Amino acid sequence: METLLDLWAGYGSTVTFASVNAFFALSTYAVLSTGVLSFTTVVFAAVGGFLSAQMAGKFGVPLWAAFPMAALGGGFAAAVVAGAFLRLESHWMALASLALVLITRVTALNTPLLTGGVNGLIVPLRVEPLELALLLALCALVFWRLHRSWYGLAARAVREDAAVASTMGISPYRVQFAAFLISGVVGGLGGAALAFTLQFISPETYFIGIAFTMIASTVLGGSFHWLGPIVGAAVFTALPTAMQAIVPQIEDVAKGVVLLLIMIFLPRGLIDPRAWGLRRAARLREENERRQQAAERDAHA
Amino acid sequence: MHDGASILVLDDLVKRFGGVAAVGGLTAHVRRGSVHGLIGPNGAGKTTVINLITGLFHPTSGSIRFEGAALEAMAPQDIAARGVTRTYQNVRLFSGMTALEQVMTGCWLRRGVSLWASFLGLPAASAAWRASRDHAMHLLERVGMAHRADELAETLSYGEQRRIEIARALGSDPKLLLLDEPTAGMNAAEADAVGRLVHELRDAGLTILMVEHNMSLVTAFCDSCTVMNFGRLLAEGDPRACIADPAVQEAYFGRKHDADRIQALR
Amino acid sequence: MQLFVEQLINGWALGSLYALFGIGFGLVFSTLGILNAAHGTYASWAAIAGYYAVDRFGVPFPVAVAAGVVGGGLLAVVVDQIGFQPLRAKKTGMLGALITSIAFWIILDSLAGFATGQQSLAFPATSYPNQMVVLGPLRVPQMQIITILALLVCTVGIYLLIQKTRIGAAMRAVGWNEVAAALGGVNARMVILLTAFLAGATSGLAGVLGGISTSNVSFTLGEGLMLKGFAAVVVGGYDDVRGTAIAGICLGVIEVFVAQYISTSFRDGFTYLLLLAFLIARPRGLFGSANFVRA
Repeated sequence: METLLDLWAGYGSTVTFASVNAFFALSTYAVLSTGVLSFTTVVFAAVGGFLSAQMAGKFGVPLWAAFPMAALGGGFAAAVVAGAFLRLESHWMALASLALVLITRVTALNTPLLTGGVNGLIVPLRVEPLELALLLALCALVFWRLHRSWYGLAARAVREDAAVASTMGISPYRVQFAAFLISGVVGGLGGAALAFTLQFISPETYFIGIAFTMIASTVLGGSFHWLGPIVGAAVFTALPTAMQAIVPQIEDVAKGVVLLLIMIFLPRGLIDPRAWGLRRAARLREENERRQQAAERDAHA
Repeated sequence: MHDGASILVLDDLVKRFGGVAAVGGLTAHVRRGSVHGLIGPNGAGKTTVINLITGLFHPTSGSIRFEGAALEAMAPQDIAARGVTRTYQNVRLFSGMTALEQVMTGCWLRRGVSLWASFLGLPAASAAWRASRDHAMHLLERVGMAHRADELAETLSYGEQRRIEIARALGSDPKLLLLDEPTAGMNAAEADAVGRLVHELRDAGLTILMVEHNMSLVTAFCDSCTVMNFGRLLAEGDPRACIADPAVQEAYFGRKHDADRIQALR
Repeated sequence: MQLFVEQLINGWALGSLYALFGIGFGLVFSTLGILNAAHGTYASWAAIAGYYAVDRFGVPFPVAVAAGVVGGGLLAVVVDQIGFQPLRAKKTGMLGALITSIAFWIILDSLAGFATGQQSLAFPATSYPNQMVVLGPLRVPQMQIITILALLVCTVGIYLLIQKTRIGAAMRAVGWNEVAAALGGVNARMVILLTAFLAGATSGLAGVLGGISTSNVSFTLGEGLMLKGFAAVVVGGYDDVRGTAIAGICLGVIEVFVAQYISTSFRDGFTYLLLLAFLIARPRGLFGSANFVRA
């Protein structure tokens, strides 16, 4: 028990930040799983974060009410973004969403009434790691349901080949719009989770750093299954800590090299259902051959 | 002509890419409940016509009428909802899906349950999901692929993938099925099986428009046909008559007297 | 009036740096389909290479610039061959290369931190042309004129290369469809290497010139250029060098004028306000063409 507590003291914050990053990664995955590369999760996180922080700070809203508000705020922002950006071709979509992240930071800096501006905001509430874990579990449950539903099937079809999906009656626009709404809600929750973890937020909190962390987590863990982003966030968050323990001088370089190696050797991520399917197919083929050989032997005997 | 009996009417259809007219004023009729062949040499514009009918391209001018409704400005998903589905010249199955999942995706339009109900897992939704599953299984049986239902489609042979694609296109109970070279890359036995399937489907009331290269298959499978060359209509009507048409012969095999001269040179 | 014109030239030179940087970023994005997060590090490293060439070997200014340009180009080729080439066969799309470029960004930035001892270095004032050119009533620093001319030469050169030469046609073809380009006899590998080198070289040029004129040689140099260069690419349209050049110049001029006549605190805000306006009104950039949909 003693050692467990020590472990928690040493790595507890890593676990907490891994869960926060898991929200961002899941939000990115939500749109990526319909074939859209978008960095706007950062925007939804900023909306959710500042909204919940202000609600808690100015109006004394309790934690259990602040999170749903953040989710709603993120979802609303997502609806606006999807309406404006979904008509763009995928390369432009990626560029535009990245530009929107830059714009969001400048906007936040220049609206001190809403965001505290350069000085940032002190957040009076704190979320416990266990509460965060529960919320993440709830999100995971939703993604698990979605994966096995008609929406999940349509999302995979649109991602793999939107033109073919459309000739089967699936509207890529509507599926991707729904994906943005999910991304917005989860991103908003992540933004609030970050605010209630750091207890201090400023426009710099919701910036490029999150964008690259969440994309790296998602791709690292695998963007073809909802478990991927969660695993990826855990690995990507633990990586610097691990590197600091092993090679403290060049921890950043080592982190980059590990990321590079994983990407080159496991380009579809750590969690890859297709690879399972391919392995299964290979095993089935082997079994069939063995059975056939056995049948031939029996026929001979 | 025979408008009352026509399920699909193409009228003076034109599609230009830049300055090139891939389809240059094609007029054609497809009779309800028939197997109609769309044939022509390579580059005649056949696949472009299929892309125009299914809304992946929009025509530069001209009209496409399906059961009297104009399709030319519609989005692909709305055209599919009216009962037009298709297969592709180069098999386009979804990567990472099992055979059964592919066909279930094809059942999207007849899933009969809202996305919300499906997400919440209401009893009615579960029943609808099972019904679609059974329907998809039944379609896989129909194309002889039921034993491969749980395998990743990309691990199967080309001929098997083609059959799954046909099952997927049948998923939403279409009225008009467009097959783009359904027998390409198949051996004779497999091609024959596709022919039998096509006739069964027609006898069950489906109209089929198929692009086909192989002339003997056209005469064996099709009730009528349209012959294209350079994006234009060359001949229309009974397959045998079409193929015997001198213009068609010329398009496929070159000018008669060229052929004679080549003969003479030998 | 004199102040106005001097500030105009000032902004033009600043914008030329953004544009010079953005051209390479856009070139790689349109030709190779890579959103390269490491593009800024080429500029930082080129400036560092130029600095050490001057500091250790006392080379003259043109050699220092050449060291930065060639260094940036070679670095880009190395990054491409290690980080992007292995992914090309695996069809990971935009994402895989984005991740490896982030990896290189982290690696090269942190190495750049070591190379400069975690501080910002400055070129010795005697190592570059630091005189004022007197044009009638105006006094313009030589470096500004060099920067403006550098952008002009690079833009015209790359535009002609892409539009008028065989290899340029091949670059456009690879941008459309690598498979089709390979079938058409285009040497895709050659195009990839050339594009990567050009991008690294122009980014390097921006890095050396920017490092000299802002007296900042460190990893923050590339990051600063990245934010503004990226804005120039979005406003100008990533698939057109002319657009990036014009947009970059405009952003630089606007930045300087806002700081001069309105308030320094609005400087960045205006840039991004413009960016937002373009995203909504002309999402495909200044010279943006109609959207092609592929079936």
